[in-house]
Amino acid sequence: IINNHYEEIDAPSAEEDSDKEDQDLDKMFGAWLGELDKLTQSLDDGRPEQSPQQKAPLRQETNMANFSYRFSIYNINEALNQGENVDLDALMADLCSIEQELSTINTKPNSAGGMARLGLTDTKVHTHTHACTQISVYNFCCCCHCVCVQEEQAAKLKAENIRVALEKIKEAQVKKLVIRVHLSDESSKTMMVDERQTVRQVLDSLLEKSHCGYSPDWSLVETINELQMERIFEDHENLVENLLNWTRDSQNRLMFTERIEKYALFKNPQNYLLGRKETCEMAERNKEALLEECFGGSSVSVPEMEGVLWLKEDGKKSWKKRYFLLRASGIYYVPKGKAKASRDLVCFLQLDHVNVYHGQDYKSKYKAPTDYCMVLKHPQIQKKSQYIKYLCCDDVRTLQQWINSIRIAKYGKQLYINFQEAMRRTEAAYDWSSLSSSSIKSGSSSSSLPESQSNHSSQSDSGVSEMTSAGHTRSQSVVSSIFSDAWRRGTQGEV
Amino acid sequence: MAAWDLSVTVEDLGPDTPPVTLSVTSDLHVGGVILKLVEKTQIKRDWSDHALWWEQKQRWLLRTAWTLEKYGIHADARLVFMPQHKPLKLGLPNGITLRLRACFSNPVFQTVIGICRMLNIRHPEELSLLRPLEEKKKKKDKDSTVEIYDLTEVPLSSVSRPCLYNGMPAHFADSPQMEAIYKMLSVTQPPPAPEVIAKQYRPASVVDKAHINGRWLDSSRCLMQQGIQENDKLWLRFKYFAFYDIEPKYDVVRLTQLYEQARWAILLEDIDCTEEEMMLFGALQYHISKVSQSEPQLLSSSAAMDDLESALQSLEVKMEGESSSASEMLENMTAPELNDYLKIFRPKRLTLKGYKQYWFKFQDTSISYFKSKEESIGEPIQQINLKGCEVAPDVNMAAQKFLIRLLIPAPEGMNEVYLRCENEQQYAQWMAACRLASKGKSLADSSYQSEIQSIHSFLAMQKTNSGSHGNAAASDESINTHSLVSPRYHKKYKAKQLTPRILDAYQNVAQFSLTEAVMRFLQIWQALPDFGLSYVVVRFKGSRKDEVLGIAPNRLIRIDLGVGDVVKTWRYNNMKQWNVNWDIKQMAIEFEGNVNIAFSCVTADCKIVHEFIGGYIFMSTRSREKSDTLNEELFHKLTGGHEAL
Repeated sequence: IINNHYEEIDAPSAEEDSDKEDQDLDKMFGAWLGELDKLTQSLDDGRPEQSPQQKAPLRQETNMANFSYRFSIYNINEALNQGENVDLDALMADLCSIEQELSTINTKPNSAGGMARLGLTDTKVHTHTHACTQISVYNFCCCCHCVCVQEEQAAKLKAENIRVALEKIKEAQVKKLVIRVHLSDESSKTMMVDERQTVRQVLDSLLEKSHCGYSPDWSLVETINELQMERIFEDHENLVENLLNWTRDSQNRLMFTERIEKYALFKNPQNYLLGRKETCEMAERNKEALLEECFGGSSVSVPEMEGVLWLKEDGKKSWKKRYFLLRASGIYYVPKGKAKASRDLVCFLQLDHVNVYHGQDYKSKYKAPTDYCMVLKHPQIQKKSQYIKYLCCDDVRTLQQWINSIRIAKYGKQLYINFQEAMRRTEAAYDWSSLSSSSIKSGSSSSSLPESQSNHSSQSDSGVSEMTSAGHTRSQSVVSSIFSDAWRRGTQGEV
Repeated sequence: MAAWDLSVTVEDLGPDTPPVTLSVTSDLHVGGVILKLVEKTQIKRDWSDHALWWEQKQRWLLRTAWTLEKYGIHADARLVFMPQHKPLKLGLPNGITLRLRACFSNPVFQTVIGICRMLNIRHPEELSLLRPLEEKKKKKDKDSTVEIYDLTEVPLSSVSRPCLYNGMPAHFADSPQMEAIYKMLSVTQPPPAPEVIAKQYRPASVVDKAHINGRWLDSSRCLMQQGIQENDKLWLRFKYFAFYDIEPKYDVVRLTQLYEQARWAILLEDIDCTEEEMMLFGALQYHISKVSQSEPQLLSSSAAMDDLESALQSLEVKMEGESSSASEMLENMTAPELNDYLKIFRPKRLTLKGYKQYWFKFQDTSISYFKSKEESIGEPIQQINLKGCEVAPDVNMAAQKFLIRLLIPAPEGMNEVYLRCENEQQYAQWMAACRLASKGKSLADSSYQSEIQSIHSFLAMQKTNSGSHGNAAASDESINTHSLVSPRYHKKYKAKQLTPRILDAYQNVAQFSLTEAVMRFLQIWQALPDFGLSYVVVRFKGSRKDEVLGIAPNRLIRIDLGVGDVVKTWRYNNMKQWNVNWDIKQMAIEFEGNVNIAFSCVTADCKIVHEFIGGYIFMSTRSREKSDTLNEELFHKLTGGHEAL
């Protein structure tokens, strides 16, 4: 029976539901709780040796699975403690869309399904992902406790959807993470991301949900409160991978906000690529030519950045001046008493393993000469350490030039591709919004709608054709299947 | 019209034969003269490549329809009848000298096109010819004559119709000797002996580097006009550092020669780099020479790629590879492990304890250790995930020291952990596992075995270095690391000091294929700040001292000779026009925003500078046109100056 329910709740229908059932929300959660408790139990029964409660008995220095576990727990708990509304409806919509995606994947090759089943047997990797799935279930349970009310018939469908979705997730071995995204107005959103999603994809889904107007400047920013630093995630980066670096007790935040500095480099390349000291204007066509010249070829040359910067001395509060140079192979400095010939340069650090962060308010925190500081550290380092390097610039312009040049040295052409992609999304969004002012429906649901209408028109057809059309609509959206279900029930009643 | 006597020397008759005298009238066209001449010599042969050269005026009479009057030829003219294609000794970027027939009558630009077509090098517009440095004649060097590989027998007709046979131009597939020459062109040379590097001329300053650019031939005039004689030696080099559309499949020779030119530029410090970069270049050279020795099938494999069937096959394999995440999963499931006793040491911990022995288990990307083998079923003392960590070797073969230094990122900072192995075998296995784990790959990864192999081969290199010294013969395993770096580092480090440093850099490149490694080498070379700069000493208008002009693919820079700093940069993008005053040998360039500069050239003819700038502008137009045919006319328009037009 379950196999015939290839359903999805997409954005419009979810909104409709929430409008109708706003007051019944609490009751609905109760229903979920019941269903989900059953689910966890059934999962535990099947594989008692892998129950999430028994997870992680080992002392591990770094265990990804553990972090993801802690992380999602942390987020939900934090939300509950603060008495905020967790947007469970949106979460469920996420789950459902994932489910639909998975059902299309699974129906394609038989062999893939076989693999997925095989994968469930054992081994480290799979236990991890398995644990994660259950963790999500567990999260639902604990938040449902807080809003727990009695069961309700109407909510059963949703709970069932979630159950199916979760099972599908489990089957596909995809790691999911419930994350909390902070907005600039101090509010926050809870959403689910899967481990394969890039920052761009997460941004897209956030933009789609929040109706905040497209702009390439929308960014996901990681703020590390303990170290007073932040970094804009690059669009091509994997979000989950980055978030798993956070510790269990982390005060870090993920911000969803507009940042002009994200792509300022491409909007005014003349201020970053030409090594000039002063800001200037440039005609649009020249900008394009400049970008094409720098990023269009087979190799990307790093902007010639060099100059005196302040370096914080290890373990001390003093800062000393050094002449630094940026090369494709890393950051170098000129040793005392030497000219800046390439062969005499001393390697300060190589960029493969470090990211560049923007240090905040370091004048008071570390007695920095100015507040224009950048920090270079391995993404996994979350606490004060001698392995974190602090550099201070004389002005904000120099700081931005250094940060952007380091980004170019690190990511090269990818950065330009990201920008072009972001611009394409923005342009596409404008095209869409001119067609309809409402939110953009997902491509799959809108394309399958006409088919569901043809179902309606085939009312008078025989049962045989009805069967085939039911088989045909397997991968269709919830809208169509809800309609066809209702229609079937309706005709049955008539007969 | 009155007839008069015209005397023509026929080169093929030998230098001692007196000129042939013809009775001509001024309205006789050049074709008629040749006809008369050939009839008079009474030699039957193919004269089709022959033409008349006017010695006093230093010009070819190639327009056979023009009359003697139109050319302005009178009885006093000394004409020579000779072939347009003559043998030339050609030094290639990889140091090999060829002897081939080049065109002496067309502009050098076309001569280079012809040479490149013969050698199977695409985009000949990026290369040119230059006069070699005078070789210092030392008595002891006299007996060691350079071997010259002869290509003069290649029929010119086959060159004009290039068709590939067995992956190489048909004329190379004729005989085993020819095939061997093609291999020489398309396979990288083994690293040179350190003494060879040390003996070569190295520019010591920017001014030294500037002098080499005075040797480029003029692309718009022919070899004869530039005083090049039959059998003279010239160098073929990449001149414009804007390499368009490199495609390893078609560019075997081009890539090899480009790599060789880049390698020598680095070994001879023609371009500056940092010590870290030098070590990486060294590691790549080592890797390239090793892989090209073990991959002699380069030619046939690229030939097979032309075969549609095999191309499809490789596509299939590729697609299978991409969609094999499921099978990868399966592989991971049965992931192999490493289990052994190793010693561990944590230098940063404030304990005085030294290395302690534990039972280690390597699984997936993590190391866990136990008190003993017997206790390994239980909970480990610690588990360390190596994903994202830094791995460095610390090996001394002589002292039998096999250390793996791990720098493991953690929220609190980096943890330093040393693992000590007992022997070479154990070290290679565990080191390879650590290297893969740091990249998030498990032992099951297909590259594990090759990783072990490359660690072994590098250890072998250290063995020979620390052992018998001074034997520079490069057998397949042992290479003197001094062969991989510039002489500066010969003085700074002993070979055995250099080896671990290159080994360190080598870790990151060991898994590259030959093509990937060559491409990587070129990429790093192109990312050097001074890449693509050709220097000329100039005197700016109104200035009293010599300065250096650096010509790059996208800009001009002005360098102060006293300080060595870049004073000013001008980009071609905002260049409006440039002019050459041939009489006072001065170049004047106008940029947007009323910026005007003018300078005279000291170390090179101003035609050379003019050609460099025009050439780079020509190179930048290629991406826009997207057509395969070379717009020769545009090149001459941009580089020729008024002479050509």
